[in-house]
Amino acid sequence: MAILISLNISDMLVTGLVYKGLVTFDYFRFLVPGIVVMGLFSAATDTGRRIWLALREGVVQYYMTLPVRTSGLVAAYIISGGLGGIVYSGLLLVIAFVAVPPQGIMNAILLLPFLFILATGIAGLAAFFASISRVGEIYWVYAQALQVSMVTISTIFYPASTIAQYLPGPIVVIAEYNPLSLAAGALRDSAFGGGALSTSVFANLLGVSLPLAGIGALSYWVILRTIRIRGKP
Amino acid sequence: MNRVLTLASFNISMIVAERMGLVLSWALFALQFGIFGSLMSHLVQSTKVQDYFFFYGVGLMVITVFDTGSFVGRRFVERAHEGELPYYLSLPISRRGFLESQAVYGVVATILRAGPPLIGVLAFTGRFTLPGAFFALLSLTTLGLGISGIMISFSFIAFKSIDIYNAIIAGLSALLVRFSTVFYPLIFIPSFYSPVAVFSPLTYGADLTRWVLGFDPHLLLNPILAAVVVTAIALGTLSLSAGIVDKIIEGVKAA
Repeated sequence: MAILISLNISDMLVTGLVYKGLVTFDYFRFLVPGIVVMGLFSAATDTGRRIWLALREGVVQYYMTLPVRTSGLVAAYIISGGLGGIVYSGLLLVIAFVAVPPQGIMNAILLLPFLFILATGIAGLAAFFASISRVGEIYWVYAQALQVSMVTISTIFYPASTIAQYLPGPIVVIAEYNPLSLAAGALRDSAFGGGALSTSVFANLLGVSLPLAGIGALSYWVILRTIRIRGKP
Repeated sequence: MNRVLTLASFNISMIVAERMGLVLSWALFALQFGIFGSLMSHLVQSTKVQDYFFFYGVGLMVITVFDTGSFVGRRFVERAHEGELPYYLSLPISRRGFLESQAVYGVVATILRAGPPLIGVLAFTGRFTLPGAFFALLSLTTLGLGISGIMISFSFIAFKSIDIYNAIIAGLSALLVRFSTVFYPLIFIPSFYSPVAVFSPLTYGADLTRWVLGFDPHLLLNPILAAVVVTAIALGTLSLSAGIVDKIIEGVKAA
C-alpha cells in the first residue's frame, strides 16, 4: 500500500508541478483531485487481482469450506474493494488537502459514501474481469485495458471542455459519464472549489456504480457456484 | 551460440503465441497516444514545447520499452518462484549462455512491443525516415537491455522475498518514470527535482531517441552524453546481473 501511495503522490507532487509550468491554467490544482480518484481506482481494482489469485491458487476452495454463504463471500470481496478504495483515497485526500487547501471540507466528507459506492462499482468491474479470466495471464491484459481506457477517457488529466473541443462526440459522452470523471468533477467543484454539491452528480455516480457492482458480484457468484458444484471453475 | 538462440527463440515463441496481449499493448498505446497525447498537446503551450504530441509519443515508447524490460526481469524471477529455473539450469547451456538468451529475448520483445508503435508515431507525425526509425529502435533496444539488466540484478532480493522484490521494483519504476524526461523536458522540471532526473536512465534514453528523430535539441540533453550513458548502463547492468546471478542462482527458489 505504501508503494501505491508513493506512486500517486509522485504523480501529484512531481507530474502536477511540472505540468503547471507548461500549461496556461493552474494544472496542479486541477490534477490533485484527479489523482485522489485515480488512487481510489487503483485500490478498488486490486479486488480483481485478489480474486484472480484466489481462483488460480485454489484459495477459493478453502473459502468454500468456511461456514459462509456464497453470496456472503461475494459481498465480502466487493465491500472490501470499496473499503480499500476509500481508505486509500482518504489518505491521498488528506495529503491533497495539505498540498491544495480545500474550500469545502464538509463537502468532501459528504462525498465519501458516494466515493465508497464508486469504489464498490470499480471493484465489481475488476471482479467481473477476474471471473472471466480462465486462461493463463489474460487477466493482466484485461486489467491493463480497463485501467488505460478508464483513466485516459476521463477528466482526470484534462478538462471536459478540452475533450469536447478536440475529440469526437461518442468519446466526449464516454468521458462525461465515466464514473472517474464524475468523482473527479465533484471533488474539484465541491471539495476543493467550495461549490455546492449537486444531486445530479450523486445520481449519476450511483447510476453508474451500482450496476457495475452488481455485474461484478453476479459474475463472481456464478464462478463460486460453479466451483461448489463442479469442484473447479 | 546455437543453444543460446534456441533457448531465446523458445522464449520468443511464447510472446508470439500470446498474440492477443501483443496486439492489445499496441492498441492501448494508440489509445494513450491518440487521446492523452493529443489532448495534452493542446494544453501544453507551444511556446514551451513546440511539438508536445511528438515529444509525448517518444516518451510513451520509452515507457513501453521500460515495461518490456521490467517484464523480462520479472519473468526471470517468476521462473525461480514457480520452479522452472532449475529446469533451465539443467539444460546443456552455460550460465552465461542462459543470460545471453535472456538478453536476446529482451531485445526481440522490445522490438515486437515498441517497433510497431514507433513506426505508427513516426508515420502519424510525418517524421518517418528509415534511418531515423532504425537508430531510434537501436536507442530504445539499448535502453531496454539496460532496464532488463537492472531488473535481473535485483532478482537476488526476490530469492529472499518476492513481496519485497515486487515492492522495490514498483517504487523504483515510479521514481524512474516520474523523475525523468519521459513526459517533460529537463529544463521544465523544478530545480529541486532535476538532480534526481539526471540519475534516471530513462532521461538519457528518451532524449537520445528524440535527438535521433530530429526533435528540437535545445530541449534535450547532449546526444553524445546520452548515447554514452545508455550504452554504459546496458553493458554495466548486464555484466552486473551476470555476476550476481552466476553467484546465487544455484539451488534457489524465490521466497
